[in-house]
Amino acid sequence: MDRRAFVTSAAAAVLPWRIAFSQSQWRSFEVTTRAEVDFAEGVSRVWLPLPLAADTEWQRSLGSAWSGNAARAEVLHDGKYGVAMLYAEWPAGHRSPRLELTSKFSTRDRTVDVSRADANAKALSPAEHAFYTAPTEWIPTDGIVRDTARGIVKGAHSDVEKARAIYEWVVDNTFRDPKVRGCGWGDIKTMLETGNFGGKCGDLNALFVGLARSVGVPARDVYGVRVAASAHAYRSLGVSTPTISKAQHCRAEFYAQGAGWVPVDPADVRKVVLEEPPGELALSDPKVVAARKRLFGSWEMNWLAYNMGHDIALPHSKGPKLPYLMYPNGETGNERLDQLDPDAFKYAISARETT
Amino acid sequence: MRRGLLAALLLAWAALAPAQALRAWSAGAAPPLELQDLDGAAHRLADYRGKTVLVNFWATWCAPCREEMPSIERLRRSLEDKPFAVLAVNVGEGARVARPFVDAMPARFTWLLDRDTRTAKAWRARVLPASYLVGPDGAIRYSALGALDWSSDEVRKTIQGVMK
Repeated sequence: MDRRAFVTSAAAAVLPWRIAFSQSQWRSFEVTTRAEVDFAEGVSRVWLPLPLAADTEWQRSLGSAWSGNAARAEVLHDGKYGVAMLYAEWPAGHRSPRLELTSKFSTRDRTVDVSRADANAKALSPAEHAFYTAPTEWIPTDGIVRDTARGIVKGAHSDVEKARAIYEWVVDNTFRDPKVRGCGWGDIKTMLETGNFGGKCGDLNALFVGLARSVGVPARDVYGVRVAASAHAYRSLGVSTPTISKAQHCRAEFYAQGAGWVPVDPADVRKVVLEEPPGELALSDPKVVAARKRLFGSWEMNWLAYNMGHDIALPHSKGPKLPYLMYPNGETGNERLDQLDPDAFKYAISARETT
Repeated sequence: MRRGLLAALLLAWAALAPAQALRAWSAGAAPPLELQDLDGAAHRLADYRGKTVLVNFWATWCAPCREEMPSIERLRRSLEDKPFAVLAVNVGEGARVARPFVDAMPARFTWLLDRDTRTAKAWRARVLPASYLVGPDGAIRYSALGALDWSSDEVRKTIQGVMK
């Protein structure tokens, strides 16, 4: 072996994320959410997100089961995005509402090579194209969002080039702010107006989606929860315990002609920067470089996808719309429970691999 | 072992939430149902025309599914001389997993396998247990999501109403 070949192979041996995603096998998991309403007053309601209804090349639902003492339970959907949720209700006077939902699913790592045309890629209809380039209540596509995006994609021609430019811009200009509660609500207009680009996945990936949509690239957030450790030596990109009550994570996709929906996750690049030991890594760190390269076109599927919905009006609730449904939600006596505080709500989510 | 399982199931039945109820169905025609049983024989819902059929989607890992089964069997026995059948559709597991459970369950249902979960999805049985009461004309009349005490007077009365 010559010296150059030796150096290359030695580097490959220590570099993270060297396993080809195309070789990945299906894995099956079981996720259980237990919700209880303490100090119930009046009618109590709980909404739990269900896994993606439609099977994909990277996730298949194997069914869910519920138990508990609800007087009424049904599967409901939001009217616009088809977000599926288990809804349960208890009448006034019920002191200890409880609900348990177990969902089983299979998943495998996902990679889309944007440099190669995929003959099986489904074309977007004009209506779908319009739907996935439209603004949402929290993700406007005009004003400062469009102005910023136009500057970012200058010189880019194809949707892939535009999405790539936006991805790199988000990675270069934002940072993960550990002080943000939950995953962040994705108020991208305020982020751009204030120049405060700190946030979590709900902010940073929403920024990617809004910027892409504003220049006509179909894009969407995908909301879910991490269920296992990363198999690619990234401690920050997985969970290390069976309890995943605070492991919610959203990702993003954009649509490219001839390639279909392409997975991206610029927010996780910034998570690697902040959290991978020893912490506060430089963008030039090999671990960051590898993640940055992989997370444009790949998702490691140690994660359960719930839905792709925005501006969710919870059925039977008079409370405000949610930017997304990624956490258990509840209310008692017409008052919303804090979805970001599992201990107060209270709820616990656990995951285990079954294969 | 079998006795122990039966005792456990009886205990579980005693703990069934009584508040769940059958809900009148208004979501359209019954999707097709054509599945094999554990021995590979084909069964079609259409072949049961003239009978009232309880289509129950279940899985071995679904605790509330297991809990409600003894009450379904009590219901079936109480209607043994009537045109009534139970199609118990296992969702997504296959014969290797389902058979030991079925062998240990003292229930005379028609046990079917929905290996690829396509039928469950067509019936919108996303959360288990999900049950559908199909009238003699082949139309879904009621549904239930979650474990139910199928042997309660209220449920039996509803089913007898569908049979008329």
